[in-house]
Amino acid sequence: MNNKIKSLLIPLIVLTVFLLSWELASFWGYLKPTRFPAPSKLLMSFLDLTFSGYPADVTIDQHLLKTIERIIIGFLLSVCLGVPLGLLIGGFQALDRLTSTIIAFCRSIATLSLLPLAIVWFGTGEQSKIFLIAYGCFWVMLSNVIEAVKQVDPLMMKAAKTMDTDGIELFLKVVLPSALPRIFSGMRISLGVGFMVIVGAEMIGTVIGLGSLIMEARTFYRTDITMVGMLILGLMGFLMTTGLAWVEKKLMPWQQQVHDRTSP
Amino acid sequence: MKDFHFQSISKRINLYGLMGILMLLMFWELSARWIWQDIQVLPSPIQCMDMAWQVLTAQELVIHIAASLSRILIGFTFAAVIGVSLGIAVGWYQYLGLAFKPILELLRPIPPLAWIPMAIVWFGLGEPSKWFVIFLGSFFPIFTNAWRGMVGIPPVILRAAQTMDAEGFELLLKVAIPAALPDIATGLRVAFGLAFGILVAAELIASDSGLGYMIMQSRETSRLGVAIFGILLIGFLSMLADDILARLMKKFVSRGRY
Repeated sequence: MNNKIKSLLIPLIVLTVFLLSWELASFWGYLKPTRFPAPSKLLMSFLDLTFSGYPADVTIDQHLLKTIERIIIGFLLSVCLGVPLGLLIGGFQALDRLTSTIIAFCRSIATLSLLPLAIVWFGTGEQSKIFLIAYGCFWVMLSNVIEAVKQVDPLMMKAAKTMDTDGIELFLKVVLPSALPRIFSGMRISLGVGFMVIVGAEMIGTVIGLGSLIMEARTFYRTDITMVGMLILGLMGFLMTTGLAWVEKKLMPWQQQVHDRTSP
Repeated sequence: MKDFHFQSISKRINLYGLMGILMLLMFWELSARWIWQDIQVLPSPIQCMDMAWQVLTAQELVIHIAASLSRILIGFTFAAVIGVSLGIAVGWYQYLGLAFKPILELLRPIPPLAWIPMAIVWFGLGEPSKWFVIFLGSFFPIFTNAWRGMVGIPPVILRAAQTMDAEGFELLLKVAIPAALPDIATGLRVAFGLAFGILVAAELIASDSGLGYMIMQSRETSRLGVAIFGILLIGFLSMLADDILARLMKKFVSRGRY
């Protein structure tokens, strides 16, 4: 057997055995349906969720769209704030020295610990969720942009300067293009962060969104719905990160990607 | 690039950094006093400290911190032991890797907080559910980095050891694991930071102690100052823990390799 077939076949067999034994274990009653709903039950619940919706009439596409909408808005906010600010801080050494400790500290603040503040400042509506996502994304975005500007090859700057490139022109023609790949990686990583925060952010005051779906379903002992929601969240995260990594590779093939070590 | 990961935060704290923080605090103090003027919306730093001083007794604070730290440590320790050993095993034995891969790749992209409802279903509302959520949050970065480290060992090193008659278990223990150690260490450090981030959410599950509980509680009793104090405290603890970890790693891990 050659390697390619092996690396396809073995995972397939293992996955099948895993799902089959799970199915049979619940069929024979070894696994409680409220704790480990069987794979077939999950499939049924998924169809249920697609056609009739949970909670009543809120179908899966509505949950999905709402969650994506929140992530995108929060993410875009953080990009709009983080990129210009990061370029500014990265460009001036004094500014970088003044802010580096603050940024390191703000990054280590747990985003979800801001939940009570978000509620007091923005209520329990959309704004508070977007605030939390934007906060989580922002610091990651900012520190990546700063790092990107700082890592621009000084030799290139000097070369450009000998050719009388200065000020804005130097920035637009030399600094920005060479910082771009890292900035893009920063976007990918910070989108991942937003994706982690969303579940916590949706725990408050809403019934639409994947995060609230899984919490709500748990309250009513619909573990099957919770699991379906989790799998969809996982799939969404997977598609988002691999999709962006792919785009990054296509857009900037000359650049080695910065590996995302923070998100699992 | 590797060295960047081991750099501790305390190195970045300098005179400029302190000045920056001081400026930020003054800006916050003044804008809270002159612009917002509402302690229910934005208390100033001094008001926060004052409120925390009045409301919290030292004993209470110690109990909350101890409860939170013990949750993190228990969840993280489980994740470290299982994640590192599984990562090494899966990276070393090709077939094990192929077998585990589909299931782990399926679970990996699920955000840790999404496990909270399942944690409640499986472990109830007590301590184990919080350990479980923290465990899951830190498990995947530890596991993936250990795995990546094992797979990324330059084959030259292994072959060189093999020419010197190192084989099987010896090769694994004396050559492969030390070579993968920097990656393993990076995973551990990242995961420890994540554990702090997840802690608050884990403590949203019916708890009556811990910093996350303290923060939520202070909102309900509309003592926003105490909440802000708690938020900053978690940030500070997480930074401190990261710093200690970075120092330990610098001391033990990078030795002999670089």
